[in-house]
Amino acid sequence: MSLAVGDVLDPVTQQSSLVTSVMYAAASGDYNPLHYDPEFAGQVSPTGGPIAHGMYSMGLTSRMLAAAAGGPEGVLELQVRFSKPWPLGATATFSGTVTAVEDGVATVEVGGELEDGTRILTGTARIRA
Amino acid sequence: MALNPAKVGAVYPTYRYEVAREKIREYATALGESDPRYTAEGDDCVAPPTFVAAFTITRGALDLFADPELGAHPALVHGSQRFVWHGRPLRPGDVLACTPRIASITARGRNEFLVIELDCVHEGSGEPALTAETTIVFLGSAPQDGAGEAAA
Repeated sequence: MSLAVGDVLDPVTQQSSLVTSVMYAAASGDYNPLHYDPEFAGQVSPTGGPIAHGMYSMGLTSRMLAAAAGGPEGVLELQVRFSKPWPLGATATFSGTVTAVEDGVATVEVGGELEDGTRILTGTARIRA
Repeated sequence: MALNPAKVGAVYPTYRYEVAREKIREYATALGESDPRYTAEGDDCVAPPTFVAAFTITRGALDLFADPELGAHPALVHGSQRFVWHGRPLRPGDVLACTPRIASITARGRNEFLVIELDCVHEGSGEPALTAETTIVFLGSAPQDGAGEAAA
């Protein structure tokens, strides 16, 4: 496997739901009810309803990166900004494009986008090329 | 109430985390991972990269938020996150020693940005495992008596 500038990684597409949110809450230990309690979220959420964990979107991004880098040992660094909320029920696609390769390490610009074009995540990764 | 800029640079007590095989499996399942090593029964079991969220983000912030001098409050969102992984992926039985530190407190508009740096090393050997940089946005508490930065 070898990555080159301009390569587009195989994207990851996922619909969020109460089930994905509860599973991620238990797995990560982040039990903020904003992510699964419609009544609580109705009072504080920017969307008026439950939203996915930012870390869930970062986790799916890292799943894409590990697949491209030959496993988790190939993922060296990942930095993301959670730019907009991801409402439960919406489908997001996480994508990445190689922008540089140096000394066997690829720089990848990553993003997460809802079907209506809303960008929920932007960031940069370094993975083994 | 605004965050206390005097807390920039404060280091909080080191805590331990022991990596467990079933916790790795649970985390990988939540992400829909298909790499068979994440659910392996043998020595080849490794953790997905962001498994580290299970002991850095929420756990790393607990002691800070409990510090009455910091002025943390519940109106917050996770703004951004950076992980740097040093060396090999984590494996069942790894024991990590993690030390949180407040890297910066800044204000932008009505919001405040708290950056927590967390260094985790393998207990015993001291070998670096990962660095996490978590930005928590505190909504609506920025001082409004002037413009710009509360601290750097």
